[in-house]
Amino acid sequence: MPISNLTALRRRLAVRGLTPAAGIPESRGGRTEEACIRPARLVEDVSLHCRSVGKAESWPEALAFLDGVQRMELVAYAGAAPIYVAGIAAAVRERQGDRLKTVTEDRRRLVIARPRALDAAGDALTGLATLALPEDEPPHPVRDLTQAARALDRARGQLELDVGRRFRLGSDCWLVVDGSLAESPGWAVDIRTIGVSKNHATLPFEGADLERYLRLPLGHRTSIFAPPSRSVAPVHAWALRLWAWEAKDLFHGLVRIEVAPANGVPATADLLSRWLLAERAPISTPDPRWDRLLYGIHSVEQYLRARAGALA
Amino acid sequence: MTAPPLGRVVATELKPSTPHQFHFWTARESPIGIGAIVRVQEAGRTVYGVVTDGFAYSDLVTPMHAVLGADGDPVAAGDEPTARAEIRLFTVAVLRQMPEEPLQPVPLGPVWLADDADVLLALRMDSYTGGERASGVPVGLYAAGGLESPVYLDCDFLLGPEAAHLNITGVSGLATKTSAVEFLLASIFQTFPRHKGSVAALCFNVKGPDLCFLDQPSALSDEDHRLYQRLGLRAEPFADVHYYAPLRPDGVNLNTLRTNEALAGNTEPLIWGLREVLDYAEVVLNRDDIDAKADAFIDFLAERVVGREYQDDMLRGRPFQVQSFADLEEFFRAIFDFMEVLGKGGEVWKTHHLATIRKVRNRLSNISTRSKGLVTDDGAANDLPWGSFADRGVYVVDVAGLDPLAQDLVFARVVSKLREHLERRDLGVEHVVVFVDELNKYAPGDGPETYVRKMLLDLSERGRYLGLVLFSAQQFRSQVQRRVVGNAGTAVYGRMDADELATPGYATLSPATKIKLATLPKGELMVRHPHFTQPIFVKFPRPPVLGGREGIERYPPSGDMPFAAAVARRLRSLDRRVSAEAVFEAIDGRREDDVRRALSATRRERPTDPLPYFVACLGRRVAGEVVLPWRGIPAVRRGEDGYGA
Repeated sequence: MPISNLTALRRRLAVRGLTPAAGIPESRGGRTEEACIRPARLVEDVSLHCRSVGKAESWPEALAFLDGVQRMELVAYAGAAPIYVAGIAAAVRERQGDRLKTVTEDRRRLVIARPRALDAAGDALTGLATLALPEDEPPHPVRDLTQAARALDRARGQLELDVGRRFRLGSDCWLVVDGSLAESPGWAVDIRTIGVSKNHATLPFEGADLERYLRLPLGHRTSIFAPPSRSVAPVHAWALRLWAWEAKDLFHGLVRIEVAPANGVPATADLLSRWLLAERAPISTPDPRWDRLLYGIHSVEQYLRARAGALA
Repeated sequence: MTAPPLGRVVATELKPSTPHQFHFWTARESPIGIGAIVRVQEAGRTVYGVVTDGFAYSDLVTPMHAVLGADGDPVAAGDEPTARAEIRLFTVAVLRQMPEEPLQPVPLGPVWLADDADVLLALRMDSYTGGERASGVPVGLYAAGGLESPVYLDCDFLLGPEAAHLNITGVSGLATKTSAVEFLLASIFQTFPRHKGSVAALCFNVKGPDLCFLDQPSALSDEDHRLYQRLGLRAEPFADVHYYAPLRPDGVNLNTLRTNEALAGNTEPLIWGLREVLDYAEVVLNRDDIDAKADAFIDFLAERVVGREYQDDMLRGRPFQVQSFADLEEFFRAIFDFMEVLGKGGEVWKTHHLATIRKVRNRLSNISTRSKGLVTDDGAANDLPWGSFADRGVYVVDVAGLDPLAQDLVFARVVSKLREHLERRDLGVEHVVVFVDELNKYAPGDGPETYVRKMLLDLSERGRYLGLVLFSAQQFRSQVQRRVVGNAGTAVYGRMDADELATPGYATLSPATKIKLATLPKGELMVRHPHFTQPIFVKFPRPPVLGGREGIERYPPSGDMPFAAAVARRLRSLDRRVSAEAVFEAIDGRREDDVRRALSATRRERPTDPLPYFVACLGRRVAGEVVLPWRGIPAVRRGEDGYGA
């Protein structure tokens, strides 16, 4: 769905001699990450093991889910340099009883372009926040798009951190974050925050361990490990198989759980895994990632996308 | 507009808003239900609509995903920690848009539940419930979400002249149809505006004791009283009710369930003579009988013989005075005797063939047999008060115990007389509501054309110009003559049979509305009215009159009484001072026919002192004469006759 009300903006940009354009870049949707193996350090067991976590248990306390969304749309070219308008939003929805209710949310609208392109647009962009792309190389629409997508990723991540921080100021309930906790030092030490990552572009093992990691049976977790600190904060993690993968893909139902190091002990890992197993239902169809996407996270995404009109 | 909105209009390509329909969603806990009236207000446009359908669904794509999520265990499905997002989506049929031009699709605005003022506007009742010439008649309370608003019918469209007639459909046994009509008549009588003139009601009681206690108050609950108060009505029975019922074949007991002595004061026999019947011979003769020849002979009787002095020296020397069936029989006898004397060649009398005369004679004499009690042999009639109908008077004709042929005769004659008098404007009132139940029987959609069906059709098509209004009821609307129900400007539906709702006549109703109709509780109705662009659900209080079943319990019928006691009862209904013993003494030893004649004369005359009049009508008692057996002439006794005897 395109960001609405951009017609007037395009008209204003055309008045200033820019070339109006319209289009939704293919890589607008989410985080981009290169596939790689970054070996992790085991903190439980000497070698990687698979452990049954036991029967699923209902989460005994209130639980909240945090996620964010982003969208980007081309509005003009200043010469060969594209100008994008993007919308980012993040929210926390808390489960009260058995119903999810939005308790914290934020949304922003940004213009992403090279500084010269932003200058050329002048006051046509009045009232919009801007995000400047690096100008160390000459304009290249395809390369600029990649850079714009990364910049937007970071902005969205920052907004999620802001929203999570605001939520935590008013609540100490368990918070499930979509993705890695290592993005934030605050989350990485928060013993009531859990990161659930669906993305396996970066794998923590190789060789036989990797095969064991990817062939994790249903209802089992791996040994606890410490991913390399690729970002800012150290966390402990383990993989958990939510749905049986046999006859499907190795990644089917496989999530990586990240917690503060204080929670990275076997008993806590088993307990949290049992609680997370109970969150498999309801399943978050029709999202194609339903095998790894918790319904709570799915609900936050749905909520934010439904309110996307308000981004304009 | 202080209350927060309850929902919001949504429109998609697949479910767009149109000028006549829109959709809105609301919270799960919202009080919105099928039949609720809502208001949309957005950008200077106000739209009123009635909820016709509702949908709820979650974000579950297929049932298989629910199975997968629960690992195939239905018990586990209930343990899901998070309830799926779900929607309550309602479909609304537009009742009114303000401003009405330009007519546009409903805007995507907030939705409120309608309050009193909204209901008034939504149903266009603002045009006829205010001002000096208001013409609103309360029909019930619209209720939704804890709000209650009176709903009014426009009597210009209920009792004419703009539109008229009311038809009510519903399953049997819930007393909804009868109760609704009783309540609505009470409402009309209390609120019919003076500037519209006078109104009376004539009800045919066609089954059981349904309409037998309209003058008796019912025990109403506090809730009923509250509803009456909210509607601005008084919970009172009808003040001026007159009952007419035929007699039983014995000629003295009434053929009705309203025979308790406490109710005898306003219950009269309905008795017709030859004149009354002959005018409607077409009704009581089989259709096959009415060929041109029979018709001509009946016309001859009606115009030349009945009620006149008919002289024919060929038949007999003195003139015929045909006033009753007995007189008519005497007239026929004279014809047959004359023809018999003529012998061969005597097959035609005054251009009428003997066979035709015999056929008419057989059929007419058959009437007095089959309708004995309604039709009297002696010609003394007791009829409805043609010409002196009272404003707000209710006239109930109890035909429940009559033979179907006699019922047809009663319907035909009463309605025809009403029409005649209303055309001449000498009935006594300007509007008459005629209530007929069981249209499935009296005006069926198929089957042979009957006089009663033709009469009901005529009433429904032309009655409103005369002030003659048909309130009709039946169980299956789809099986009633289409023009009879089609001409009813106002249609009311109680609980409906599911099979009936599946017929094409209900195709315009949404599935949810049909479900609601099929499960409608007693005391609730769906109303169509010319001012309402969509059917509206209302609830109404119990009628202020005693129901049939309760009435029978409180006033049990006295049953058929012995001849003498029944005569005493009839005389006591004229004057409570008349003692039964005095009546017994007066009729002791009298022939029953003589007593009936005297009773009929007393009833017709209504003297201030009925008993002496009755006794006078009986005439002088003729002392019986003992006739000794004839003994013949005794033989003459002689002495010695010389022969040695």
